[in-house]
Amino acid sequence: MVVRAMTPLTIKTNTEDHFIAKLAAIAIVLSIIEFFLPSPIPGVKPGIANIIILYTLVKFNLQTAVWVSLIRVFVSSILVGSLMAPTFFLSLFGAISSLIFLFIFQKLPKKYFSVISLGIIAAFGHILGQFFIARIWVIPHDSIFNLLPLFLISSLIFGVLSGFITDTLLEHKTNRLPN
Amino acid sequence: MKKVLPFIKTVKLGDVLIIFMLMGLIIFIINKSWNTPIGQYLKIEKNNEPPKIISLNQIKEEEIAGLLGDSNISIVDGKARFSKAPCTKKYCIHQGWINKVNQTIVCLPNQITISITDGSESYDSVNY
Amino acid sequence: MIFRNLIFFLIIFLCGCGQKDRVYQYKDYIFGTIIDIKIYGETENKSKQITNLIFDDFQRLHNYLHPWEKSLISDMNHAISTGKSFIIDDAEIIRVLKENTELSQKTDNFFNPAMGKLIALWGFHEDNIKQSIPSSSVIKDFVSNMPLMEDLTITNNTVSSKNKKFQLDLGGYAKGYALDRAKIILQNNNIKNALVNIGGNIIAIGMRGDRNWIVGIQHPRKPSAIASINLLPGWSIGTSGDYQRYFMMNEKRYSHLINPISGFPSANSQSTTILIPPSKNSGVLSDVYSKPLFIAPTEIKIEIAKKLNIKYFMIIQNDEKILISNEMNKVITWIDLKDEKGITVY
Repeated sequence: MVVRAMTPLTIKTNTEDHFIAKLAAIAIVLSIIEFFLPSPIPGVKPGIANIIILYTLVKFNLQTAVWVSLIRVFVSSILVGSLMAPTFFLSLFGAISSLIFLFIFQKLPKKYFSVISLGIIAAFGHILGQFFIARIWVIPHDSIFNLLPLFLISSLIFGVLSGFITDTLLEHKTNRLPN
Repeated sequence: MKKVLPFIKTVKLGDVLIIFMLMGLIIFIINKSWNTPIGQYLKIEKNNEPPKIISLNQIKEEEIAGLLGDSNISIVDGKARFSKAPCTKKYCIHQGWINKVNQTIVCLPNQITISITDGSESYDSVNY
Repeated sequence: MIFRNLIFFLIIFLCGCGQKDRVYQYKDYIFGTIIDIKIYGETENKSKQITNLIFDDFQRLHNYLHPWEKSLISDMNHAISTGKSFIIDDAEIIRVLKENTELSQKTDNFFNPAMGKLIALWGFHEDNIKQSIPSSSVIKDFVSNMPLMEDLTITNNTVSSKNKKFQLDLGGYAKGYALDRAKIILQNNNIKNALVNIGGNIIAIGMRGDRNWIVGIQHPRKPSAIASINLLPGWSIGTSGDYQRYFMMNEKRYSHLINPISGFPSANSQSTTILIPPSKNSGVLSDVYSKPLFIAPTEIKIEIAKKLNIKYFMIIQNDEKILISNEMNKVITWIDLKDEKGITVY
């Protein structure tokens, strides 16, 4: 009788994976904090996890940002118990649309555009994605477009803020991740 | 003043351009959608059902069955609001009264939308 | 490049979700009434082309059927009033005459297209209503020898009548007939979704995209709708109301809906609305069958509805109370109803 030694399952990870994991962990925590924050206007959230996505994009690359973003969406949905609920899809499509917008605009000349522009574009993309999916799936009536101005204003304000915060983070922690 | 300084240092010309472009877009949309008169009818929409339209010119408590349960809509003095809702956060109730054309309250969890119309778009044709 | 992308994506996001399937709408003024045709889900070219076919056909009907302007029917009326027979070389018109006889008999002559002279006496055979009440002796005399559709003899293509007072007025039939014609033309041209409104009588063809066509029902005393209804594919809706053609005298309302028994305008209701399920002549029925329900005395209205197999009806009485059939009550959505106590459901 041959007894085979059980080898422990190991996944080889590289430094990039570690960065992704750390960044995603921070984004998830921020998402969950935001989930429990009271909001003065329904549906209007600051999207603080966007800061991490922006940080990742500038510090690393778009591919890493995609990973962090998607991990954040799935894991935080599982943790707050909304996986596969309408809010999950709103969140997912918001994130995807935000990444698409970042993909288009990531090559903006650094000379004229700071990370604040990216923050606005990410927030704007997020809200457009959510509206798109909300219109075709969650509330299939045109009446929800009446809410668009409100969400656009909030995306502008929070976009500027998140861009600015990202910028400060990038300046202070030049080579290390915040622990 | 010191706190604003790093912000000003960060902002670049292109950022300002993008901010103004978005502000222009927002103002354009607001002008189009919110600058509207007081409406005559309330449109109640449930997922994938034709809208139900009732007059605002009455005192009424309307009960609508949604995804989670019954939502109540009050109509008084030409205004409407959600007065009862089965959802947990009750955002729809906190939104308060609406009476201007295109004003809308969405109850996402219960999938009921109410909006004000002037009556012209509520049907395709009139039988007389 | 970036900005081209930006614009491209804005277009996708802003229009992609906001755009509706187009409905093309066309209006024309024929039969002394407004015709309103909406076509869904076709190209603009085709919609326009088919609508013009319909308008042309309506113009043809107008030239045949108009009760007081120069038309085939007014020529026939003239011949009959002088005791002559009249030759109609058109199978369609002969069919129309026969259908009117049949419908008039079915409704116990409450729908009586043969009493055009009485309508004219009341001054309703003019574009601007005369606003005068005929003397009661004239009316009595007319009613005592009331011309009926049975008085019309049709042999092959020759029509004649022994009653010289016979004068055909298809005002309560033509709009419904036009609806059925419109339906045929739309179907022959493979248009699946449309809504045709001829002076208030409406037929639904198909749907408006993923929802039914929605039709408002006019409030008889307000410039708005009292209710709305989902008009299912193939269904027709018709209303007879005292608010369309009428005149006021000494604060009393005189409408063009005249009771053939009394010779006076019927005054027991403000409007009657009926829904007719899909059938070959549902347009005609929605037009014709609303008349007896409006004109007949209140006591026998329900009985008449039963006899004519009208399952969906709503009668707004003169005292503003509403009589509504159980079936109708299930499909109607009230828009402007202050007091639901005023409703009686049958």
